[in-house]
Amino acid sequence: MTTIDDLRQTFFEESAEGLEAIDTGLNDLNEQSPEETVNAVFRGIHSIKGGAGVFGFGSLVDFAHVFETVLDHVRHGKLAPAPQVVEVLQKANDTLSDLVAMARSGETPPANFDADSRSALKQLIGAGDDDDEKGAAADFDDIDFQPIRVDDAEFEPQTQRFDLTYRAAQAQYDDKFAAVLKGLRAVGRVTLQADIEGVPVLKECDPHEAYIVCSGTIEGELALAELRDIVSDIDPSESWSISDGDAAAASGTPVDQADMVPMVDAPPLADATPAEATPTEATVQAPAQAAEPQEPREASAKHSVTTTIRVDLEKIDRVVNMVGELVISQTMLGQLFQNVKGDAEGRMAQVLEDVFLHTRELKNSVMAMRAQPVRSVFQRMSRLVRELSVKTGKRVRLETFGEGTEVDKTVIERLSDPLTHIIRNSMDHGIETPERRRAAGKPEEGTITLLADQRSSRIIIEVSDNGAGIDAERVIKKARDQGLIPMEGHLSEDEINNLIFMPGFSTASGVSEISGRGVGMDVVRRNVQDLGGRITLKSTPGKGMTIQLALPLTLAVMDGMIVKVATETYVMPISSIVECIRPSASEYHSLLGTRGALRLRGAVVPIVYLSELFDLSSTRETTDESTVIIIETSEGVRLGIVVDQLLGHQQVVIKSIEENYGAVRGIAGATILGDGHVAFILDAERLGEFAKYPEFVTARKEQYVQ
Amino acid sequence: MPNAAALKVLVVDDQFSVRQMTRLALEKIGVRLIHEAENGQTAFATAVAQPLDLIISDFNMPEMDGIGLLRAVRGHQAIRKLPFILITGRGDRELVVKAAQAGVNNYVVKPFDEAILRQKMEAVLGRIQ
Repeated sequence: MTTIDDLRQTFFEESAEGLEAIDTGLNDLNEQSPEETVNAVFRGIHSIKGGAGVFGFGSLVDFAHVFETVLDHVRHGKLAPAPQVVEVLQKANDTLSDLVAMARSGETPPANFDADSRSALKQLIGAGDDDDEKGAAADFDDIDFQPIRVDDAEFEPQTQRFDLTYRAAQAQYDDKFAAVLKGLRAVGRVTLQADIEGVPVLKECDPHEAYIVCSGTIEGELALAELRDIVSDIDPSESWSISDGDAAAASGTPVDQADMVPMVDAPPLADATPAEATPTEATVQAPAQAAEPQEPREASAKHSVTTTIRVDLEKIDRVVNMVGELVISQTMLGQLFQNVKGDAEGRMAQVLEDVFLHTRELKNSVMAMRAQPVRSVFQRMSRLVRELSVKTGKRVRLETFGEGTEVDKTVIERLSDPLTHIIRNSMDHGIETPERRRAAGKPEEGTITLLADQRSSRIIIEVSDNGAGIDAERVIKKARDQGLIPMEGHLSEDEINNLIFMPGFSTASGVSEISGRGVGMDVVRRNVQDLGGRITLKSTPGKGMTIQLALPLTLAVMDGMIVKVATETYVMPISSIVECIRPSASEYHSLLGTRGALRLRGAVVPIVYLSELFDLSSTRETTDESTVIIIETSEGVRLGIVVDQLLGHQQVVIKSIEENYGAVRGIAGATILGDGHVAFILDAERLGEFAKYPEFVTARKEQYVQ
Repeated sequence: MPNAAALKVLVVDDQFSVRQMTRLALEKIGVRLIHEAENGQTAFATAVAQPLDLIISDFNMPEMDGIGLLRAVRGHQAIRKLPFILITGRGDRELVVKAAQAGVNNYVVKPFDEAILRQKMEAVLGRIQ
């Protein structure tokens, strides 16, 4: 049962879409933008106003009305959408969005909450402050309507007659036939005749075959679509067909045509070509619609093809969870199957294969439901760049690519913060002032490029600018001043670049309005890591820098490598694994201050014994079975994890242990394996820290001292 | 004198929530046969194809607005007498005047409840049973 509360919820969802449409429109809005851009913005505001009116959000209606009035001026060419006008409009949209949020949470906006924005809007169109809508008339009864007289006679039902055919694809064993007949008889006069000519003699009868075809007519007040609704409600199979006489005749249904009443006074039917078929079309007065009746109808037809339904996210999450459980059950089934011997084995293997295939498909489909294009986030960024350009006096153009790339909704929601931060950073520290750019021989206008792309199971988001890049000298000096790194020693290029991700690091000489407010790039890295992603940075001094985020497609299910250490089983996310090797005993080295190291194609890779890390055994025994999993953390640190055995590759469902127990260093979560056992999922990022801090860093220091 | 249960009403608005609110109000009046359309174009196609007793339409919609729909209905021989109620906002006086000239039968101002809607419908259709 739909309640007003549900509808209110729907209104807020629609408003969110409306706000986004307004935002998009305003971003594209300039003096040259097409009429449709302004109209889209106008419609967005109007819809919010309309809905707010129905649900009685007075302050929202009032503000939206002023906003709408200004847009109306723009629409009619009375106000040119110059940049400063657009800025006021964007601010107004912020206010509108705040008001919507307040209405949603049930807050009453503080007095004069929208006063600034409102008077800014009014200034644009030169309206006075007293020109308020609060006292607007709610009735216009003084207006003279010329109501068309509606006699009771007008309500006389119009009787229409349609052809009715029943032709089942196969025998039906239920009582739907009778139910449909009953339903139809309730709304009209039904005549139906069975054609039994196709029925063979009894012994040749296939019990699953439907031989009987019925045809006849129904006469009643209801329209075709309504009749069809009645039938499909009862019998969703396509056994029944209802059509008007002409269509039926064309398809050759055996109906007595002499009986047909020509449809002179009935309006044309919904599924036949509606308006243009009638001779009265020429009298349609609305000129725009009469002139091009074909095109808009096509548009609306297209509209109905891409139907969408609104589903509560919670419901989808429930499906995602169930699919997760299914993946577990399926794995269990697979494991049980290994004990099955005998005749059934071959066939069972086949079926099991299908189950695996379908589960994977199901998982992908469900994940696709949660996926949304990154467009919405990117659009917010273009707005941000515009605002910051004004504030910093730097000229910057934002180019976006791959906006259609789809990412899990949760990832999208949590992408906005880090991206905002990275872009603020680029605008503040990366892109130079126009003068300095000119001096460096670069175009005055800087460019920030936002790119999204899907590469296998990862989403790549890249933010690059053609600014000054990272000033290594300055970064090192700052880091030393702030005591983040030792005063002596050489740092590799990567290490220098990574310094900006260190907690507490800031090159900003003062706290500017834009960045340097104490939340640094370390928070960005933290955000990205929380999403299971990795962040890398490349900088070319003088040319610019690129920050790349690699994010998982989904947060709920992942591919894992099942490993065994002593008596325990762990899962290592495949996404962090670079390779797995089985070195001979002579390739393990011990290095002063480290937990061990491995020589891998000329490079030295520090290793961590998982057994030691988790106190499973105190020895560092390596056997022939021992495998080293080389992982790479988002900081680009390579690390070898020594395990006893690789058990295989499996899709696992991530269950949080943080929620139920607490955060454990080195553990990202837990999952249920095929045999029903719980296994911990390793956190590659944190494992990297084990290798680095403190021993690894100390070791490096000692090396340098030598 | 129309019987609410037999009234066939078409509700036109591009916003799902507004259509549903209108539907809710209609259902409280006792109307059961409710069609919905999300713009003037589809509304007009429905009005031409379905026997209707009343159209309740919003004004601002993509693909033919409320006035456009009204003019199209008034200009179509078979349905030109179809009663038409416009949904408007507070202070949209200009719009109501325009609609009155185009032959609208009445208007209803948002927010409205079933009592107001009923009153407006009765003004147009006569007492609803």
